[in-house]
Amino acid sequence: MTSAANAPVLEIRGLTKRYGELEAVRGIDFHVQPGEVFALIGPNGAGKTTTLRMVATILRPTAGTITMNGIDVVKEPDRARQLISYLPEEAGAYKNLKAIEYLKFVAEVFFDDRERAAEAVRMGREVSGLGDRLDDKLGSYSKGMTRKLLLARTVMTQPALAILDEPTSGLDVINALELRERIKQMAAEGMSVLLSSHNMLEIEFLSDRVSMIAEGRIHATGSPAELKERYSAENLEQVFARVARDGREVA
Amino acid sequence: MRRFLVLLKKELRELLTLQTLLPFVIVIAVFGVLGQTLSAVSAEQSAAAPLAVADEDGGPYAQVVLEALELAGFETVTVDGPLTEDTAQDLLDSAEANIVIGIPAGFSKAIAAGQTQRLPSWTRVRNFSFIGNTDIASFDGAMSVVNSAVAASVAAEAAPSVPPAMLQQPVAPAEHVIIGDRSAETPAIAVMSFVSQQTTFIPIVLFLVIVFAAQMIATAVATEKENKTLETLLSYPVTRTAIVTSKMVAAGLVALLSAAAYMLGMQQYMSGMEASMGGGTESAAAASAAAMQQLGLTYGPTDYLMLGLTLFASILVALSIAIILGAFAESVKSVGSLITPLMVLILVPYLLTLIVDLSVMPDAVRYAVMAIPFTYPFVTGPALFLGNYGLVWWGIAYQLVWFAVFAAIAARVFSSDRILTMKLSFGRKKR
Repeated sequence: MTSAANAPVLEIRGLTKRYGELEAVRGIDFHVQPGEVFALIGPNGAGKTTTLRMVATILRPTAGTITMNGIDVVKEPDRARQLISYLPEEAGAYKNLKAIEYLKFVAEVFFDDRERAAEAVRMGREVSGLGDRLDDKLGSYSKGMTRKLLLARTVMTQPALAILDEPTSGLDVINALELRERIKQMAAEGMSVLLSSHNMLEIEFLSDRVSMIAEGRIHATGSPAELKERYSAENLEQVFARVARDGREVA
Repeated sequence: MRRFLVLLKKELRELLTLQTLLPFVIVIAVFGVLGQTLSAVSAEQSAAAPLAVADEDGGPYAQVVLEALELAGFETVTVDGPLTEDTAQDLLDSAEANIVIGIPAGFSKAIAAGQTQRLPSWTRVRNFSFIGNTDIASFDGAMSVVNSAVAASVAAEAAPSVPPAMLQQPVAPAEHVIIGDRSAETPAIAVMSFVSQQTTFIPIVLFLVIVFAAQMIATAVATEKENKTLETLLSYPVTRTAIVTSKMVAAGLVALLSAAAYMLGMQQYMSGMEASMGGGTESAAAASAAAMQQLGLTYGPTDYLMLGLTLFASILVALSIAIILGAFAESVKSVGSLITPLMVLILVPYLLTLIVDLSVMPDAVRYAVMAIPFTYPFVTGPALFLGNYGLVWWGIAYQLVWFAVFAAIAARVFSSDRILTMKLSFGRKKR
């Protein structure tokens, strides 16, 4: 199923990250296809965020390779950064900037071409759904508003791969639903997504494929339906609980 | 380059906020008001401080005293009655004066007979501030005016053939000063006071600029960490060098701006201070200005350029060290304590050079101080006065070496995991 004709956007092999003696990620492999939403799920400290950070070029792997559209991410991070857009879990924004100034800043950082930058800002404005509040300083934003703006910022550059760490954390149900719809729509339009979430509903709704990660290792990969079948579980939460327990035993 | 400018614009926006600008505006305003107040106070004081004179003699020499005081610009008020411990208070009150001078009966006769006379006086000390002392200073002036007037008048009688001025100062100094290979005719004390004005004022500004620059950049990095914007920033398609340099340039620019604000405020304060303390020094200063120029004690364009280069190099060193220290910070709050070592490194040469000259220090201490890069901006001013250009160039080169080393370390920190993972957490185990 995964050996589709088109080459993957992201291919990860033997990815390992050690912090001193602690081995956070212990040689994992996975890939993300164009337009695919791929999710990493697992308990706290499983290595999800470390993996996302390595793909986002802000941590250097101890071993292994990350290839993005044929670019070696570890060797050429500057080229890889043009293709990605990263939304960290606890991201904040520059409090002294107005929201619209922030969107312009990011657009100008990504695009030399004025027209493309303006287009990105237009899209960010629309996706954020913040309307007139975009003229307010970010210091006055609530957590939910900030998250909406940051998600808009992440997708507005139309990256080949969006890296979303807990994209809807801190959002209310309605806002979260809206954002999930938006992510799904953008994936349908060709954007690949590497996702991490604790919300199993979100994972089931968004993901084409899921990897269960625990103790720095991938224990199972497949579509939500496949995983439920394999673990004879009714929902992903049960799958998650089993893998999390097994992971502990393995370690 | 374009992306660097985009980053720079963002950094400046972050640094130039109402909260950061307000202190500078306040400083300019406060110093300005202080300076104005000081000069206003002094003007009022010199105008409203009459000298009370209780003349019980009424003789010719008492007249000489009174005329001399008036000629010298003292406002005198004659009060009646003998000046004793008991009456002094009342006499001061009645004349609304702070100083009362008594000319005792028989004063003229005794002077004529060649006896030194004592003029009793009472000075009311109301406060102990600098400006409060003007009364005391003016009394000193009054006494010397009185003495020379009486002496001149006695001399005119005793030795009519000799000009009174000659008798008062038969030997006049013709002082010459040599600095390096230049010389000029001017009192040495005037040279020292002229130089010390510059060597105390300029270092304060230098000190502030360097410290501000360090604080700005460390705060900028710590803010990125505290606001959780650093991770995102590091994933943008810009080189890490551009991130580091845009922060440095922005902090340097804001530091210069803040220094200009402080300089402006200080200048207003100092000129107000001088106006209140000085008085007669203005004409003297104008007269000796030519001499100072002759001695090379005024900076020419090249000197300013070298002073500027030295300061620029110092700012670069401070920025490169502070950006690394800022990377250790987990919050803006911790910036203060993190850059303390850097502050000490700047404070030591600042205070040392303010008090003693490097050349008189023991060798070991001198080399230790010369090893601190921040010593050079403080010694450059005097070195330029003395024409010691070698030291200045060495200082610039030496500081640039420091900058190169720390900028390289900063670049490494920012392009590795350390920028995200390094923090000072003494005694706490890593997860």
